[in-house]
Amino acid sequence: MTYQIADEPIDTQLGSYVVHPSAPLLAIMLAGAWLSWPWFAFNAIAMGSPTRRREIALCAAAFAGTGALAAIAIALIQRGVIPDGAPIRLTVLAIVTFKLGMTYYISIVQDRTFHVYEYYGGTVRDARRVLAAGWLLRGLVVGLSDHPLWIIIVAGGW
Amino acid sequence: MSSAREIAVLLEQAEAQRSLGNHRGATQLAQRALGLDPDHAASHAVLAVILLDARRLRAAGIEARAALALDGNDGFVHRAAAHVLLAERKLDDAWAHCLVALDGPSATPGAYVLGARIRILQGEHAHALELLEEALALDPGHGDALTELARLALRAGDLAEAAQRIGLALEADPVDRAAHVVAGFIDLARGDTTGAEQHARFVLAQHATSHDGLALWAAIQARRSWLLGAWWRWNLWVSQRDERQRLAALLGTFVAVRVAVILADELGYPGASDALRYAWFGLCAYTWIAPAIFRRMLARSLETVRLDPDF
Repeated sequence: MTYQIADEPIDTQLGSYVVHPSAPLLAIMLAGAWLSWPWFAFNAIAMGSPTRRREIALCAAAFAGTGALAAIAIALIQRGVIPDGAPIRLTVLAIVTFKLGMTYYISIVQDRTFHVYEYYGGTVRDARRVLAAGWLLRGLVVGLSDHPLWIIIVAGGW
Repeated sequence: MSSAREIAVLLEQAEAQRSLGNHRGATQLAQRALGLDPDHAASHAVLAVILLDARRLRAAGIEARAALALDGNDGFVHRAAAHVLLAERKLDDAWAHCLVALDGPSATPGAYVLGARIRILQGEHAHALELLEEALALDPGHGDALTELARLALRAGDLAEAAQRIGLALEADPVDRAAHVVAGFIDLARGDTTGAEQHARFVLAQHATSHDGLALWAAIQARRSWLLGAWWRWNLWVSQRDERQRLAALLGTFVAVRVAVILADELGYPGASDALRYAWFGLCAYTWIAPAIFRRMLARSLETVRLDPDF
């Protein structure tokens, strides 16, 4: 009987779909949160990450937090509390910073398991095609609704 | 063989594999020991130190805490905890555990050197020197203590003192990899890249995946290329910070640039705004491309290193 170390990934059937965590990190800039955060969640499951619940919870929190911040910002703008011009741009910047911060933090958490996954000989897939497809599809996804809440949540953080 | 004896043998073999740089083999042996007795504190402590060497900090922390929970009176367990806490940069806690390790039979030269490393990071250089002298009083030829003294002198910019100390360390143990790494960095500080390269080659020939050896090799390559040298320095600065500090630095830079762009637009300086946007784009592109070029360059130069037949 061998002892299980806390950070050891478990075997999954999705191992051949694992990508380097820098791919979903890059996706937030090239495609948007609509691709980045679900991809992080999928990667955590595919890798058999021992912290996958935390990673998935962080992805959900990123969506929920962005939605909440965006709803507050939209309400304040509509009531004239936040005037046009620089104040609106600074408000959007705050939301983008939150999105980037969450994305970077999720990538840090996933990176720890990824190193162990690689250490045990796990396979890693090239993510360039998915990134390219995400970049091509971003206009389509963002344009699914013209509601500012939707756009703020799914858009990228470049 | 009794279970206790078997565990002792496995841990001994694990330590031997760790010292050879075979982290995977060492981990498996410690795991086997814990498979025989999951409540064996020393096994958890040994595994913590092995995982730390393999840069699996989170798992190392869990193992060190498990060892402490199982036996809070063992000096070796406290020493392992101090090792992990030092890597986590929890310096006050690391020092508290090190003090326990320095009290009693676990007060070995190695424990004094560990204490000195903690005190250096706490800014207590004078006390670190005292601890290193105590390590040398117990073992005058203790390579780690001499190497640490050389590192301290190098950090203080006293290259002559550093060279003298590292000379003694290499005299005590001519194949000590840590001493060769410090000797390489001393040569690099003197501008002698050829000398530094010899030390790096020696280290990498013994242990091809030595993190410190690769760091020295990368520093030598960065010295030869200004553009990649800038990335190397940035990377070094980032690696010396914990994850929260890194996140704060990156987001802080992003926000500062974006606020400057917004202000430049609002104040009617579109040229400045564009310049900032291009500079930010250039920095982002550089930080994505530079590591790839650097790794490729490093891999190509490492192909010229001949491995020791014993590796």
